[in-house]
Amino acid sequence: MRPLRRVLAEAGTPYGRLALAGLLGLASAAATIGLLAGSGYVVGRAASRPGLGALAGLLAAIEVLAFLRGPLRYAERLVGHDAALRALARWRVWLYDCLSPRVPAALSGWRSGDLLTRAIDDVDTLQDLYLRTLLPAGIALGAAALGLVVVGLILPVSALALGVPLALACTVPPLVVWRRSGSDEAAGIGGALAAQVVDAIHGAPDLLAFGAHTAMLEQLETMAARAAALDRREARAQAVATLLTQLCLGAALVGVSAVGIAAVHAHHLDPVMVAVLPLAALATFEPVAGVTLAAARFRAVGAAARRLLALEAVPIPVRDGDDPTRLAAGAPEIRFADASLRYAATLPRALDGVTLVVAPGDRVAVTGSSGAGKSSLVNALLRFWPLEGGSLSLGGIAADDLAQADVRATCALVDQRAQLFAGTIRSNVTLGRPAATDDEIAIALEAAQLRQWVATLPAGLDTPVGEDGVAVSGGERRRLAVARALLAGGPVLVLDEPTSGLDAPLADQLITDVLAAAKDRSVLLITHRAGEAARCDTTVTLEAGRVVP
Amino acid sequence: MSPARDNRPRLVPPELAARLPATRSASLTAVAIGALIAVSIVVQAVALATAIDRSLLHHAALGMLRPELIAVALAVAARAVLTLLGEVWARRSAEAVVTALRGQLLRQVLALGPGWLAGERPGELSLTATRGLRSLHAYFARYVPQAAMAAVVPIVLLAWVATQDWLSLVVVLVLVLAVPVTMIHFGREATRRTQRQWRRLGSLAGRFLQLIEGLPTLRAFGRDGYGRREVIESTDGVRVATMRTLRVAFLSALSMDLIAGFGVGLVAMALGLRLLWGQLSLQTALAVLLVAPEIFVPLRRAGAEFHASTEGQAAARRVLEVLDTEPTVVPAPSPRLAGPRPRQPVDLRIEGLRVAYDDRAGAAVDGFGFHAPPGWRVALVGPSGSGKSSVLAALLGFVPLAAGTMSIDGMSASACAPDEWRAHFSWVPQRPYLFTTTLAQNLRLGAPEAADDALEEVIAAVGLGPLVRHLPGGLETPLGQDGLTLSAGERHRVALARALLCPAPIVLLDEPTASLDPPSVTQMAEAIVPWLAGRTVVLAAHQPLLLPHFDAVLDVATSAPLPLTAGIS
Repeated sequence: MRPLRRVLAEAGTPYGRLALAGLLGLASAAATIGLLAGSGYVVGRAASRPGLGALAGLLAAIEVLAFLRGPLRYAERLVGHDAALRALARWRVWLYDCLSPRVPAALSGWRSGDLLTRAIDDVDTLQDLYLRTLLPAGIALGAAALGLVVVGLILPVSALALGVPLALACTVPPLVVWRRSGSDEAAGIGGALAAQVVDAIHGAPDLLAFGAHTAMLEQLETMAARAAALDRREARAQAVATLLTQLCLGAALVGVSAVGIAAVHAHHLDPVMVAVLPLAALATFEPVAGVTLAAARFRAVGAAARRLLALEAVPIPVRDGDDPTRLAAGAPEIRFADASLRYAATLPRALDGVTLVVAPGDRVAVTGSSGAGKSSLVNALLRFWPLEGGSLSLGGIAADDLAQADVRATCALVDQRAQLFAGTIRSNVTLGRPAATDDEIAIALEAAQLRQWVATLPAGLDTPVGEDGVAVSGGERRRLAVARALLAGGPVLVLDEPTSGLDAPLADQLITDVLAAAKDRSVLLITHRAGEAARCDTTVTLEAGRVVP
Repeated sequence: MSPARDNRPRLVPPELAARLPATRSASLTAVAIGALIAVSIVVQAVALATAIDRSLLHHAALGMLRPELIAVALAVAARAVLTLLGEVWARRSAEAVVTALRGQLLRQVLALGPGWLAGERPGELSLTATRGLRSLHAYFARYVPQAAMAAVVPIVLLAWVATQDWLSLVVVLVLVLAVPVTMIHFGREATRRTQRQWRRLGSLAGRFLQLIEGLPTLRAFGRDGYGRREVIESTDGVRVATMRTLRVAFLSALSMDLIAGFGVGLVAMALGLRLLWGQLSLQTALAVLLVAPEIFVPLRRAGAEFHASTEGQAAARRVLEVLDTEPTVVPAPSPRLAGPRPRQPVDLRIEGLRVAYDDRAGAAVDGFGFHAPPGWRVALVGPSGSGKSSVLAALLGFVPLAAGTMSIDGMSASACAPDEWRAHFSWVPQRPYLFTTTLAQNLRLGAPEAADDALEEVIAAVGLGPLVRHLPGGLETPLGQDGLTLSAGERHRVALARALLCPAPIVLLDEPTASLDPPSVTQMAEAIVPWLAGRTVVLAAHQPLLLPHFDAVLDVATSAPLPLTAGIS
């Protein structure tokens, strides 16, 4: 329960809208009870033929209830969805705030897009906490209470005849479903099956060429059989829950009828009420299935909430000191001295006694295979992750004494993915300096050899990029990242695999252009291509977090 | 048949029923169960109405009404059991249909081969095979049984009401007929609105993912706050757009609720009036009143599952389209079972090879041929698009030959089964696909029995030794998805290792060095030579790189041998 309470708290103060939706739903359920019970009363009373006048008012009231139930339900749906979407907005900001101080280093296990997507899906799943868990269950329980009051007022003992099956229907079927629904194994095998289907289709040429397709299909069939078995188990649980709910309904129907008949026979009850009681019981049971549906969903929502809280529990790696020193203008000397870094106590050191100096204006290349520690060097320099031992200083000041923002303003990064954001060319290039003038932008684009390309675009700098905008090729995207870094104005240029994914001739040209544009800036070039490294003044090769002599 | 009729929601699409007889029996079962449930509803209503009638009018003792109440209980129990059977049966047949279709689809994709796949969008296809089939599961598990109920229960109940009271019949009939009219009207309007909003919603949702993925970049530029504002703005946009759509989308549910509400209210009024006029017995009136709401329940439920029907049917149609595609590379008339992979050095001969694609004018390769005695190394050179990859695709049997012959040790390609022919080849594709299994499993793709030592040797030969040594799980590290992400160069090295490990006598290399820089290639060349001893190598590249020497360097366009300046050494 704790994760869910926490999640509700993060949604701000959602209770107003949620309560309103619940009340609307309850009013709709009440209208249904009134409609059915009233209909029973009218028919029962009409049998003694009292004349139209005696029934006219009641008939009109029934039609009003028959009409009201729909609009009330409609309003409940809208208010409920609105509340859920408002909460979703808060949850998304929460996720953003959670991730923001921890990326990229603290979540290095999360770096592949899939896990991020899962976190985003988890946040979306939280909506069901409102729409498919709290609301239907709350409305069902409220309607049950209301129905009990109604039949209890007519004949007290009938509240018992309705209450016992009602209580059972609200507890046993939900438990049956809850125990069997959305198990981790089912979710896991579903995901694995989907991944394998994707593999079989995308990797069809490779499978065929190596004669591995038969084995793949066999493996898939085994997995599908396991998934089917789990699905059947879940289906059985749900079917049993439905069965139990209906049996409870039957018991309630027979029970209230029996006590009503007995009371009429004993002249304790107005005979008309024997027609009202079973119909009131039927109406009371109508929303009860909502509790079972809520239980089925509850587990998935809880799991999503727990995963998100686990994310929040990851410690924030770097925090600013109370009174940070300011860096002087100009390129500082960057000095790693015997620096070591480790992401977790259980993992080997990602940097192990690295000593590396980038003097002002120096161009230093760092090479090594994947996992050699190249990216960790960037993480340490940009203060995304603290050093475990040794020291890092900029301009003679220990990095720990500097504000993170100050360090990042000094070191302009060209990241590996060359991530662009929805918006225009301008908004992307000015990411590091939102107030840049057109002249400054033009200079940066010129240096990145993009000026001609931008000139060919329909709206020039204000051409949108991304899904709805102009298609940007891999090479152009990387040049935009370069222009962005140049415009940001930091005197140190940090290039993290700026050519990854580019063909050799394109990559070569890009490096030539970047190094020319860097002018007197210091350059730290991270690359796995020996040819690129050779273009810098010094090359440092890392292997397993150590500098190879 | 008019197109409008064609678009009508059907219980099971006829073409699907034709291919999977199980679907027909599933829907028939659902209809039969629906009819039985309708009967139990009537029995329950009549028995309860009789008991109430006796009690209300004659104050009968509970003991006298025991048979009626037992009948009510039995009818409820029967209905509950029937519902259970229906649900379990529907889920089971849904699972069976989906498993069968998934298997058929994948087998067909593999039979159609890469030549066909190249003309398709694999992303769309795998989405159909995963999410599409999942919605087909929902279609059979939820929509089909509900639709069957909606088709049969109201009819049975209306027929019974017709025997009881004409006025109630008229009221209910009018309301039931209003259902499709309003559903179609609101449904169309909602679809129109949804489609208009969909693009906007899609791009807003994508924006959030992009901001989260781009967080490191935003931080590096000190713009975390900007991203936060964008998150708030985009989710607010999502909310406003979604609510605008939902206001319309919920109208069909509203109309259904109104119809069902008046189904009770107006019927009660009609029954009340008929009772006042003395035209009806109380027992009949009560029974009709109990049955009336049950007529609308299945209609409402089927309406709620309607969206599942369109999505599921679309997926089914796409799968059937693929299943009905004829393979272009027709297997040999008498395919023999492929034996163990041949390992002896072989003699490869190609003559007059012509490869043409439907969507391109002219032939990709025309009149190409060469003869490679056992252990020869042949380089096919030429600029991009000159047909180098097409020659390799033809050798692998991925594209049909317009003309020409290929033979290994005198055995013609057209005379043996594709699997048997392909067993002679190992291959480094231009864009290798690595599977979401472990690194070791990827390497063993063509050599399932390879020992761990061999894996480590080959990994070292392609220069991945240091990388693998520092992986926490070593060779057992999973790739992709939740696992290790490799760079393009590393992927190519893994693909090369995979090909070297496969003991086939002919190794096809398609631009294996495109993503590597010259120093790395030189380093690797020496290490891989022992792995190629005695094997025929066919390399397709801009330049004859990677190996120290080639026995023949051919221009694909002319089949002309080029001077053996060969390689770098």
